Amino acid sequence: MDIFRTIVSVLSAVAIPALMLFFLVYGAFRKVKVYEVAVEGAKEGFEIAVRIIPYLVLMLVSIAIFRASGAMDVFITLVSPLTDLLGIPAEALPMAIMRPLSGSGSLGIMTETMQAYGTDSFIGILVSTLYGSTETTFYVLAVYFGAVGIRNTRHALPTGLLADFIAFLAAVFFVGLVL
Amino acid sequence: MLNHIWLALIVIGICTAAGRDIFEVVNNSYGNGIPWEIREGDLMRDEEGASLHFTLRIPAEELQRHFTTEVMAGDVHVPVKFFPQGADNASLVLDVTGESIPERFAIMAEALGSAETLTGQLDRRGDGWRMRFDEVSLVYLRKVTNAAFEIAGVAVQIALGLIGIMALWLGVMRVAEQAGLITHLARLVRPITVRLFPDVPADHPAVGSMIMNIAANMLGLGNAATPFGLKAMEELDKLNPKSGVATDAMVTFLALNTSCVTLIPATAIAVRAAAGSSDPAFIIGTSFLASLTATISAVIISKLLAKVRMFRWERSEAD
Repeated sequence: MDIFRTIVSVLSAVAIPALMLFFLVYGAFRKVKVYEVAVEGAKEGFEIAVRIIPYLVLMLVSIAIFRASGAMDVFITLVSPLTDLLGIPAEALPMAIMRPLSGSGSLGIMTETMQAYGTDSFIGILVSTLYGSTETTFYVLAVYFGAVGIRNTRHALPTGLLADFIAFLAAVFFVGLVL
Repeated sequence: MLNHIWLALIVIGICTAAGRDIFEVVNNSYGNGIPWEIREGDLMRDEEGASLHFTLRIPAEELQRHFTTEVMAGDVHVPVKFFPQGADNASLVLDVTGESIPERFAIMAEALGSAETLTGQLDRRGDGWRMRFDEVSLVYLRKVTNAAFEIAGVAVQIALGLIGIMALWLGVMRVAEQAGLITHLARLVRPITVRLFPDVPADHPAVGSMIMNIAANMLGLGNAATPFGLKAMEELDKLNPKSGVATDAMVTFLALNTSCVTLIPATAIAVRAAAGSSDPAFIIGTSFLASLTATISAVIISKLLAKVRMFRWERSEAD
């Protein structure tokens, strides 16, 4: 496990500079006017970022309203009989619900939950596994679809949320297996 | 679907906030208008001398008399600062940050404009004092309003913060594209991508960008992953005959992206280490397996849901 960790951490440190070097040198080798072409490409950065703004504002505002109202507590009370049936620990529910909604929110919940139940307890390991194994689905959808002006997202959200739910079940299973 | 969930988050949020506020107003759960009785001996000076620092003891019955909607466990001791104003008046600044302080005080403090302190006005009454706070009401609706305005600004900052990193990577990517590298990369992974994205030509630049996005995500390089991913979306959109509608390939790509396998969940490990875990990196294995399960499921689900009537491509109308 330690060797694996070292390899990945070296890779992630080297990847960016190596990629940049390789792309640009290879481009120059292939007679691409590197600076001129790069500037052309870079111009798009501004447009894309600005195009995302309305999508991101509306998405984050609705999530912020949901969070600030304390509706999550109510929601947890409603779904807990169902999750009890599935054998899911109630202590990890806030994390499971917050994870797809908000990155900073779920970071806070992970920290609080670990403080309350211990970092190396079943619950502590479960919430950190959950945090590490999925993305903030709503944010990713808003940014990625926003960048190309997609409004009809079809089955993207149900797919993302179902995958998050499966990640949660898998985390419960695998953490239970190793502990 | 997104329309409904987006609306639901807002409606549920506002209605819950309003419901809670109505409940609190009806029950007067902050004890508005009921003075707090401070008896001789409840207000204790921390040390002899000129210091303003005191400790205020609030008996359980007194707490319960004000905070009617919650069960108060016992007496609390609140660190306070005492400012005399003449013989019969004074003000008392309560420090509400302590662990043992009832949460109600913290909520009141926040509603009255300061996260840490709550100021009460004292009137001399016999041997002791009578303390009053400003009235607190509609806490949750105010919270919702503040959160909405605050996050609207934050969202713009997040988007603008992407400009620099986007410009850098899109510039570098353009060079790689013109040199033909992205197409090479796409051909390299052809056996996988023709199955994952049957609608995308195997040597299309979108494939190269998607691969780079997923590789960067696996290595935990979020800053580089986003530009690659957005570039991939742009390329995918060039293949899109219906503007404004997500294609199957886009949904499968985002399913891969949101459930993406991370080899080292760096943030979670850092938080565990900071919280004093004896083995912070323990979760590498469990999160790898959980996200691998999720990724495989996500791809299958995206393929299955694409066939469901309400999500079908033929039924989705362009702008």
